[in-house]
Amino acid sequence: MKSKLRLAGIIVASVFCALALSGCKKAVAVKPDDAFGAYDTEADWNDSTKIVKLGYQESQGKRIFYQYCVWCHADASPAGPSNRSNLTPVPPVLNDGEKLNQESDEFMQNIITLGGSALGKSAMMPPYGKTLSADEIKAVIAFTRAIAQPAYQKPGRPGSQYTTK
Amino acid sequence: MPAEDMGKLSHRVRLAFAVCTVLCVLVLAISPVKDFRVEWKHYKRSFLRFAQGRPDTKKLLADYNPNIDQAWIPGMNVVDRCSTCHQGITQPTLADGSVPQPFRAHPPIPHNVRDWGCTVCHRGQGPATEVAEAHETTLAWEQPILPAHYLQASCGSCHQADLSETPQLTRGRELLSRLNCQACHKLSNIDRSSLGPELSSVGYKVTRQWIYKWLKEPRTVLDKDGNVTVNGYENGAESRMPKFRLKEEEVLALSGYLSAQKAKPLEAYKINPAVVAAWSKKPDLVSQSEVRFRQMMCTTCHPLAVTRAGETKLIGGNIGPELTKVGSKVNEQWLVSWLRNPQGYLAHNNMPRYGWSDEDLYKVSQYVMNKLTDTDLLTGVPALGEPTEDELKTGKRLFLEKGCASCHHVEGIPPQKDFGPDLTALGAKNASELEFGKARIQHNLPAYIQAKLQDPVSVNPAARMPEYSWSQIDLDAVTTAVLSQTGPKSTSALQHLVVPKKEASFQAMGEFAEVYERYKCYACHKFNGYGGDLAPDLSFEGSRAQRKWIAEFLKNPQTIRPTLILRMPQFNMSDKDAAIVAEYLSMAVQKPGVNPGSLDGQKYTPAMVALGKQLYDVKYQCQSCHTIGGSGGYVGPNLNNAGNWLTPAWMEAWLRNPQSLQPDTIEPRRNFTDDEIHALTAYLMTLRSGIKSQTGAKVAAASATMTQGAGR
Repeated sequence: MKSKLRLAGIIVASVFCALALSGCKKAVAVKPDDAFGAYDTEADWNDSTKIVKLGYQESQGKRIFYQYCVWCHADASPAGPSNRSNLTPVPPVLNDGEKLNQESDEFMQNIITLGGSALGKSAMMPPYGKTLSADEIKAVIAFTRAIAQPAYQKPGRPGSQYTTK
Repeated sequence: MPAEDMGKLSHRVRLAFAVCTVLCVLVLAISPVKDFRVEWKHYKRSFLRFAQGRPDTKKLLADYNPNIDQAWIPGMNVVDRCSTCHQGITQPTLADGSVPQPFRAHPPIPHNVRDWGCTVCHRGQGPATEVAEAHETTLAWEQPILPAHYLQASCGSCHQADLSETPQLTRGRELLSRLNCQACHKLSNIDRSSLGPELSSVGYKVTRQWIYKWLKEPRTVLDKDGNVTVNGYENGAESRMPKFRLKEEEVLALSGYLSAQKAKPLEAYKINPAVVAAWSKKPDLVSQSEVRFRQMMCTTCHPLAVTRAGETKLIGGNIGPELTKVGSKVNEQWLVSWLRNPQGYLAHNNMPRYGWSDEDLYKVSQYVMNKLTDTDLLTGVPALGEPTEDELKTGKRLFLEKGCASCHHVEGIPPQKDFGPDLTALGAKNASELEFGKARIQHNLPAYIQAKLQDPVSVNPAARMPEYSWSQIDLDAVTTAVLSQTGPKSTSALQHLVVPKKEASFQAMGEFAEVYERYKCYACHKFNGYGGDLAPDLSFEGSRAQRKWIAEFLKNPQTIRPTLILRMPQFNMSDKDAAIVAEYLSMAVQKPGVNPGSLDGQKYTPAMVALGKQLYDVKYQCQSCHTIGGSGGYVGPNLNNAGNWLTPAWMEAWLRNPQSLQPDTIEPRRNFTDDEIHALTAYLMTLRSGIKSQTGAKVAAASATMTQGAGR
């Protein structure tokens, strides 16, 4: 008799538990396709089989890059030949991580805004501060960082003016 | 029962009570435990922990709220609780990619997230408080989050005007317009393009064999030798004609029916026999005709397959059809008559009416018929004779059944309307409203649209929609544009959100209108937003270019931009026509405030010129983009002839603020002082090259007489 009662208790408890648990049951989650998650993509410049995923800001940078910067900072332009070979000193290709990874975001922001001559670099780099907004320039920098080869690493302590370098 | 036991409970009953009590407590505890473990509270707590581990804890937690955050924007019909979990969405310090989701800040966008909410762009279920319910399809809410890849579709549901920030959407809309999807489907806010070519007299143009081949394979890219055959796909110059799923007898009937279309007799033109006799004997006819063909710059509008270094590529513009094998397609008589007067065969088309001499006409038509050919183009096509009565009847029936009349006009057949379903609200449809058939794809809207575009039969075996061949980029672009078709706003109060498109129109006047129509200036150039975008925008040409230069350029177009392969064709324009265009452009097509006559080149002194040269060469190093003489960059236009080409008023206005004259120019706006602007203009005005040609002088004289005439 005792065991029967215990059994009844267990049954009642399990029914309650099952009821309680059924309330917790989640809707079946479908994992979204990986490629759908990226706002935009760009093929790696050195290896076109690799795809770099771009967020909103980087994709805006990509658009601005292909409109304004591609002429001198890539090996080919929409019109075919690149203007790089006409320039001395030769401007860096945008994905040149060896060179550009060393430059801080502030430096990049300044050289694009004020032009090369304001920072003691070549005057052939014109200022874009009155043509592009600060956000647009930030977007170009974000794009630069996204496609950098070797990959760009953020400086160790963000917000600090003293970098480890 | 003994008396002393009365009122005492038996051991068993006590146990039963105990068990029930424990159970009751447990059941009562379920609710608080569930409440504690609820998903959003978990994120609330982990944000607290996350913020405490960061240097700016205080700022991050300044408006921390342990309850559900809800943004209610009545004007937008938005109730969003997304920021309950996405707590760092407006914290600029959390913008970094290393911040774990859901705490990352929203990237900077032109709208303020606080004013607009989230679901307006991202869709999903705003009031939901569980991750799965907010993001995925549930029984109660069928609009899942829009994948980031198609997010530009949301911009398009309010912004009818094209935005520079949404290139994918813009490309998709262009494709919807270019491929003439509106011929069958109803779409909102898509430009109507011209229909497919009129076929009323197609029997004079091509053979039945060619039509047969075309219907079977309208976009063969490579034939068995690896040559581009009928219509290429690379270079954005894909065939606008899709592939219909036709049975053999249907192809036979349709080709028969179409080849019998000879409504308007050909306007035959006989090239002067003396010219033919003189040239047909010359051994260098072929090479000479090729030179002439190249000089005419046909490739500015028509793509051609060119093999360089073992790689076959289509080069050229995408305004006209691809011409690589056109010699094997068209009838020679038709070609000559078409080249002389394209509007004689098709009333509406973008091909200019060139001023051909008989010699040029002979050379170019010979080149096309003998060189732009492919001997095995029609391999595999059966011998086809005159169509039978039966074939004609079946062909006509099929022409209507397959919806051909939606795009193509044939004499005596009324155009078909709304042949396909209305798509103006497809982008807002729920997955349950779609038919997926047996397609093994994800059951969501983007996947459905892509499947339908790539292989219509996969989702609906009875689909009448033909097949298109998309590159992945174009497929995604069209999907985005279709997703942006979300129908009218749900309430009229939301109507004000719609940013309408600016309707562009340009009305050419007087004598110019005739010349403008004859040479189809608008096929490549834009005037006040109306026209093509292959060539420079001419909306302010009167302020920019000197009248004499315009007239000379029209007579003998030279490339100003060194890297361009495409350039203005040689129209063989008469002096009178060139003068009319130059006159009209310089008088009527001006930028307000930039009066070409307001500045006189004479006022510049040699000292200013010297300063200008100094500024150009050293301080601003303009040679990085512009060429003078033989050296310099080739990003901007060549300035060798700037003194003859541009007006000083334009140069000064341009140097002051290039974007005010041409918003999308890449020339950066700089901090020139007024003196520097004058000096640079003075220097540029001294740059003159080219000997004044005789024709130029003649046109200038003609133009001068005309002005006098107008003055009287």
